[in-house]
Amino acid sequence: MTAIAPPRPIADPITQPFWQGVAEHRLVLQRCATNSTFVHPPEQVCPCCGGSEFAYVTAAGTGTVHSFAVMRDRRVRGYEDRVPYVNLWVDLDEQPGLIMLANLVGGDDGLAIGARVDVEFETFSDGSALPAFRLI
Amino acid sequence: MFERGVAVTGTGYSKVERRSSRSLGDLTLEAIGNACANAGIEPGEIDGLATFPDNPSFGNASIDGIDVVSVHHVARRLGLVERLRWNSQCDALIQGSMVDAINAVASGTCETVIVFRAMHNPTGGAYNAFTADRAVGGTQFAAPFGVHRGYQTYGQAYRRYMWEYGATREHMATLILNGRRNAALNSNAYFSTAPALTVQDYLDARMLADPVCLLDCDIPVDGAVALVLTSATRARHAQHGAAHLAGYAQSVGRGGTSDAAIAIGLPLSQLQENGRVLAERLWAATGLRPTDVDVAQLYDGYSFFVYWWLEALGFCGRGEAFEFIQDGRIALEGQLPVNTFGGQLGEGRLHGIGHLAEAIRQAAGTAGDRQVPGVGVSVAALGPLSHISAAFVFTSEPK
Repeated sequence: MTAIAPPRPIADPITQPFWQGVAEHRLVLQRCATNSTFVHPPEQVCPCCGGSEFAYVTAAGTGTVHSFAVMRDRRVRGYEDRVPYVNLWVDLDEQPGLIMLANLVGGDDGLAIGARVDVEFETFSDGSALPAFRLI
Repeated sequence: MFERGVAVTGTGYSKVERRSSRSLGDLTLEAIGNACANAGIEPGEIDGLATFPDNPSFGNASIDGIDVVSVHHVARRLGLVERLRWNSQCDALIQGSMVDAINAVASGTCETVIVFRAMHNPTGGAYNAFTADRAVGGTQFAAPFGVHRGYQTYGQAYRRYMWEYGATREHMATLILNGRRNAALNSNAYFSTAPALTVQDYLDARMLADPVCLLDCDIPVDGAVALVLTSATRARHAQHGAAHLAGYAQSVGRGGTSDAAIAIGLPLSQLQENGRVLAERLWAATGLRPTDVDVAQLYDGYSFFVYWWLEALGFCGRGEAFEFIQDGRIALEGQLPVNTFGGQLGEGRLHGIGHLAEAIRQAAGTAGDRQVPGVGVSVAALGPLSHISAAFVFTSEPK
């Protein structure tokens, strides 16, 4: 099977700082300038206060596995040869309930809800990158 | 809830098949014809039309009459273009269309409204496969990570549920078998004549995204369903009885329900909170309580939505649904019969309108072999609880 690249994320004005950070291998989070709440995925207005002024800060990249699903269906563009792969919800350390979706890399030994993870950046042949998490 | 009472006097199905040799437009007209006949009216009496036309499957064509069926398509083919007083194609699933139609009747805008839903099982490619090479909007946080389908995100909420409360796949088998048993009494159901399913069949089913297996997902079909809504006054003359609307509640979700938040999936706690808020409004709107309900049709596009609806609506406590469904409690003869038509897991993926049709039939007393005796109050709860969800309560008598 010819390897097809996964769909490429197309940044927009709301998400540009996040993807710019990913390109630099930094996990950049949107943070409300009014009430300091972290928001992910980035929003146009803060869900907590309606504010539209944001700062963008580099996160520690560490967190806890909130949940996960082990994907076994091959019919996913760009992931045909990767099954099974693990989709993770990670509770980022910055704030309770701040969840990020990414994949697990580097082996699943010890994978469980509550396991600790650290961000790393997968790079693709076209030079693009995606955040992923490794068990620590 | 309304100054002018609203009732449903007819339901109609097309044939439901894995793949139909007929066009989706033809199936829709068949369903509408059957619904009108059931209500004892002529299609020419229709003065309102509502649908949610989308095929919830990325990357497929949307040719009107083939892949989707619009109100325009139906209005043209039934010669209603000049007669219609109102029509609606909302973006809030069929529950949104139902809410719109109820309001059109309650306001006196229309006398006879058809709500229909036509579903097509696309050929070629996998259902809900993301086929584009660019991921924009909310999908930019999911598709690049190989997350295309709801079971990869709602499935994580389900794993969290299992972890928090101790639910197992053995518990879920009870729900799946309940759906198949009831489907056997429903001639419209895709699995109507399927061999009986065993617990072991469920446990052995192919994993799609562990913990979600094939049998936790409804089966895509070609088919259409139509409902006839009218005023409670006119419903007195209905041919086969009527279900009267006691009220509804519709959610827009709470918290961070942007497209992107939906794409990465809402955690279990947020689904529970959304459900709690919706249910609170439903019981306030109807003046009824969970203990008044005789039969419940709960959306099961994925099996585990049923747990969350049971808990949200207050039929059991939070974290208790997987135990509540055991011991025959949700069977036809049980304390709270659930998905008496088989659910979408048994009937096929009609995207919620099957749940409405069955709630209506149970309240009208027209559910045939699977009629629960003495139904006074029936509920239909539609949607994934994350967003665009709604619940409706029907009664056998007008208030």
